[in-house]
Amino acid sequence: MEELIEILEELVPGEDVENCTTLIDDHILDSFGILSLVSEIEEAFDIEVSPAELTPGNFNSAAALWEMICRLKEEN
Amino acid sequence: MEYHLLTYSLLFLPAVVILYQLVQKRYRFIVLLAADYIFFWMVSKWLIVYLFIATLATYGTGRVLDYVSEHSSVKGKQLTKRKRCVLAAGIFVTLGMLVIFKYLKVFGITLLAPIGISYYTLQTISYMTDVYRGTVKADKNLARTALYLSFFPQIMEGPISRYSETAESLFSGSSIEYNNLVYGYQRILWGLFKKMMVADRLAPVIFKIFGDYERYDGSAVTVAVICYTFQLYTEFSGGMDIILGSGEIFGVKLPENFRQPFFADSAGDFWRRWHITLGTWLKDYIFYPISLAKPVKKLAKKVKGVWGINVSKFVAPTIALFFVWLSNGIWHGAGWTYLFYGMYYFVLIFLENITEAPRKKWIARMHINTEKIGWRLLTGVKLFVIINLGEMFFRAETVAQGFGMLGKICTDFHISVLKEADIGLDKYDIILAVASLFVVFLVDIIHEKGISIRNKVASFKMPLRWSFWYAVIFLIVIFGAYGAGYTIVDMIYAAY
Repeated sequence: MEELIEILEELVPGEDVENCTTLIDDHILDSFGILSLVSEIEEAFDIEVSPAELTPGNFNSAAALWEMICRLKEEN
Repeated sequence: MEYHLLTYSLLFLPAVVILYQLVQKRYRFIVLLAADYIFFWMVSKWLIVYLFIATLATYGTGRVLDYVSEHSSVKGKQLTKRKRCVLAAGIFVTLGMLVIFKYLKVFGITLLAPIGISYYTLQTISYMTDVYRGTVKADKNLARTALYLSFFPQIMEGPISRYSETAESLFSGSSIEYNNLVYGYQRILWGLFKKMMVADRLAPVIFKIFGDYERYDGSAVTVAVICYTFQLYTEFSGGMDIILGSGEIFGVKLPENFRQPFFADSAGDFWRRWHITLGTWLKDYIFYPISLAKPVKKLAKKVKGVWGINVSKFVAPTIALFFVWLSNGIWHGAGWTYLFYGMYYFVLIFLENITEAPRKKWIARMHINTEKIGWRLLTGVKLFVIINLGEMFFRAETVAQGFGMLGKICTDFHISVLKEADIGLDKYDIILAVASLFVVFLVDIIHEKGISIRNKVASFKMPLRWSFWYAVIFLIVIFGAYGAGYTIVDMIYAAY
């Protein structure tokens, strides 16, 4: 989780990424930001994110992202 | 029949509403489906067969995908491969029909297309892809799938809705509530205001000057281009008001297609506010899949190795962005002007993306407050020029005409000539058009501030409330651009 927070902090500096639950809804992450994030977490956690995973539900908060990462790791 | 005609809002729609309310809840979806097909038949006659084929192909693909997922003996990548084949077959059928009807004209073959084929085809693809991805369960009910693809208020020009957004509410047969009926008709009224007070009134200027621009001074050409941008906005967003209002009556919440686009601060932001459902469709079904495709990722990795992350981070989004804007252009039609329009926005948004970081740094260094009116006005004017340039090429018959008009504006611009120029509008029409546009933009400002005008009016006491709506009705009846001397203009986006 710490590594994910670091990635998020680097991507959206100045945001309270640990507690924010509206990363997508409040346009903190736009489509370019989402792609940068996907590329970072794919490399960091050795997972593959498919387009089906790119939903607000998976990207709105660090907790939701972590849940998705854990699930994808398990599926791998 | 088109939505802005009174035969729609005063005859067809009320007849469906009454019938819908009269029958038992469990049969209401039949009334809606019958209305959908009657509406389609009234416009496209036997071409309805193609809607049936698209519906069956969409429904069938969903069911086969479901079956393959549950009963296939293979798992993992092989299962994905099988499902991908099924999805490709489904898309081949529905997209194939769109290609035949829309793009054979490139080879000199012009076919009369079924209404709304550009819209319902995108809905078929989104449904089939969502089932493939597992984000939507395949529907076992053919009627519900049929309803989703053919809802009469949205069939002609969208919005492009997702199965998860509308299918259930269309099928549920909820009773028509008084509030929904009133709010729905209020929104229809607002749509008619935009269409009849602005869009149709501006039509002669656009028709006259775009049709023979060489005869006019650059100032008149500028007026025509600006009029076209306003016409397109009021026509398309007004149409959406009529469509969304119609849906609201039946308790169906169709997705919004506009969100005060002229208040955007960049070209990218403009497209998040203009034709929203096309933009989100392209994002979900073209931008993301291409960005995450293996060859694109591989290329990005290679670039990262050579030029570092600051360059490589743009590779995948830029390739995907190119295909998004190529698709956007082609979706509008088989013409070079549409392709030009798509590439115009591709270049603009690409430039916005790669200069975003240095721009932000520069703004911080110069201590510019981007919320101040001066800065917002500046970005507003810049964006308005960008939008108008794009719409000029979009409306022009050829790309050469677009450049010809641009040449006129840049090299033959004499504001003093404008007073004498015959632009197709008399003083009375100009005053009404400007006043109506002022109202439209005042409403947009209020909406941008997050205030709901309908709720505000609903809070008025009954006499005041009804006086307000009667005033709007009489305004349209007395001053609307219809009758002798006016031509009712066809819905622009129904042609795409």
